[in-house]
Amino acid sequence: MHPSITSLLLIALSTSTIITMSSYHWMFAWAGLEINMLSMLPLISKEHHPRAVEATMKYFMTQAAASAMLIFASTINAWQTAQWDISLLTPSTPMMMLTLAITMKLGLAPFHFWLPEVSLGTTNSVMLIITTWQKLAPLAIIILLHNSLNHHLLTSLGLLSMVVGGWGGMNQLQIRKIMAYSSIAHMGWVVMILPKAPDLSLLYLMLYIMLNLTMFLIIISTALTKLTSLFSTQNKSFPMMILMALTLLSMGGLPPMTGFLPKWLILQELIYQHQTQMATLASLSTLLSLFFYLRLVFNAFLTTPPNTSNVTKNWRNQTNHHILLPQMMILSLMLLIITPLVISLF
Amino acid sequence: MTYAIFLFGLCFVFGLLLVASNPSPYYGVLGLLMASAVGGGFLVGVGSSFLSVILFLIYSGGMLVVFAYSVALAADFYPEAWGSRSVAVNLVVFLSLLVFVGSGFSWGLSKKGVGEETVDFGGISLIRGDFGGVAILYDFGCSVLVVSGWVLLVALFVVLELTRGQSRGSLRAV
Amino acid sequence: MPTILFNLGLAFMTSMMGLSLQRSHLISALLCLEGMMLTLFLMLTTWATEQQSSLLFSALMMLLTLSACGAGTGLSLLVTTTRTHGSSNMNNLNLLQC
Repeated sequence: MHPSITSLLLIALSTSTIITMSSYHWMFAWAGLEINMLSMLPLISKEHHPRAVEATMKYFMTQAAASAMLIFASTINAWQTAQWDISLLTPSTPMMMLTLAITMKLGLAPFHFWLPEVSLGTTNSVMLIITTWQKLAPLAIIILLHNSLNHHLLTSLGLLSMVVGGWGGMNQLQIRKIMAYSSIAHMGWVVMILPKAPDLSLLYLMLYIMLNLTMFLIIISTALTKLTSLFSTQNKSFPMMILMALTLLSMGGLPPMTGFLPKWLILQELIYQHQTQMATLASLSTLLSLFFYLRLVFNAFLTTPPNTSNVTKNWRNQTNHHILLPQMMILSLMLLIITPLVISLF
Repeated sequence: MTYAIFLFGLCFVFGLLLVASNPSPYYGVLGLLMASAVGGGFLVGVGSSFLSVILFLIYSGGMLVVFAYSVALAADFYPEAWGSRSVAVNLVVFLSLLVFVGSGFSWGLSKKGVGEETVDFGGISLIRGDFGGVAILYDFGCSVLVVSGWVLLVALFVVLELTRGQSRGSLRAV
Repeated sequence: MPTILFNLGLAFMTSMMGLSLQRSHLISALLCLEGMMLTLFLMLTTWATEQQSSLLFSALMMLLTLSACGAGTGLSLLVTTTRTHGSSNMNNLNLLQC
């Protein structure tokens, strides 16, 4: 792809998210989502091999159907209440449909099937965009609307996608697919806490984007694709593998690392609001995710060189480190110490 | 006029049903053409004739020509019309689903009775609302104009970029 | 008015079902998507006419533009899929299934 076309598409991608976030009128929000989808398509099919084209097709179908459903729900809402502003909505029947459309865009549980497949067809950097930047526009809408959406629906979809994300990633061998399922599970956390404490869901989203960015920067710089390629990656850079293991544990939410912070606050908030069953379910379903993170960790650096491995050694020893990686690594490992600041902010 | 609109609406649903019941693409295009024509009539009945002209021109003039080309690309050896078994089964299943969904939908939505009058914009000699509304696009609705132009530009590059990869991964050149 | 809304809602539901249950041709799915956008255009036009509000019609032009862009992109994806997969049948898109 020519660099000028890439930059045009990236500009369209970023401006469309900003259009969606800053719009009061449904039509503009929808237009932003549509431009977002359109400019994402050539990036996904950049390599033009059959898998990439298929991933593009699947992305296009789900996103186009979801945005059509979104504008349909808002049209019915306008017919009923004569109101086009996003912020002035009242809870009603079409809001349920709108919730489903937005969860389809986000890749939450009953509509999550496109995300792992698209993740397998694209490159690592495009998958990074899909799992971070593309979540922002639908989440902006859903956060603007969180008072008028159906709370039970949001909570149950969130819980379901936490369980499904954990369960689906259990038996996967492709790293991008594992990251896609981990994205489903984390989005489940974001959406589950949204009706109760939107600040916490924003915090979770922020920290998830940070952790995901770190993880994908490691994946991009070591060119990881499969679980078996992890065996030979420690020859490239052993410290980076250790740090990747720590980042994965942080994503799983283990205490001295950053990933513990949002989960801790969310569980505390749930218990304050006497939702102990939900807190139990949430923390139990994190164990499922933790299992496949731990399997990555095991393959990354617990199979040390004296053991024989059945995998051919990777002959391309050079890694291209990203300049952002050290900072992101520090942020994604050591941010738990800002917990008092976060508590005082919210 | 109410009955005409109601008839047009029924024909519209029927046209979309013909598209949705999964026949061969030739017949699907026929159903969509019928739906767009009937939709134009529907809009005339509702009162905005200018938009009905725009709709009909865009759908039959622009899109369906392109669709005909693509349908020729994706041609079937044995095309299935609505008479063939799978499509007929689809039609019946969709009709029954429609009755089911529609009853729930109407229960959820229409609190009022069925059949009320439609609203008409002013006469021919007045400034009509739909003319004026489209003209507003070029005046103080310029943000909409800018966004639409930007979308068209982006879509041009998207289409060019998507159909470009002739050199890689092609099984046959179309 | 509830009758018209009911009618158009049924049309949208039909197209949505056709899109989600479509199994043979990619272009039939794209046709269903077009049907959805057509229904949305009818709904919004009827509502704007009923509200006697001219301002909404310019938003409708944006709806038409964006649906044309979406249709064009879908067709180019159809061409690309025909190139890479040899045909445009839906059941050929099975390289990535989990």
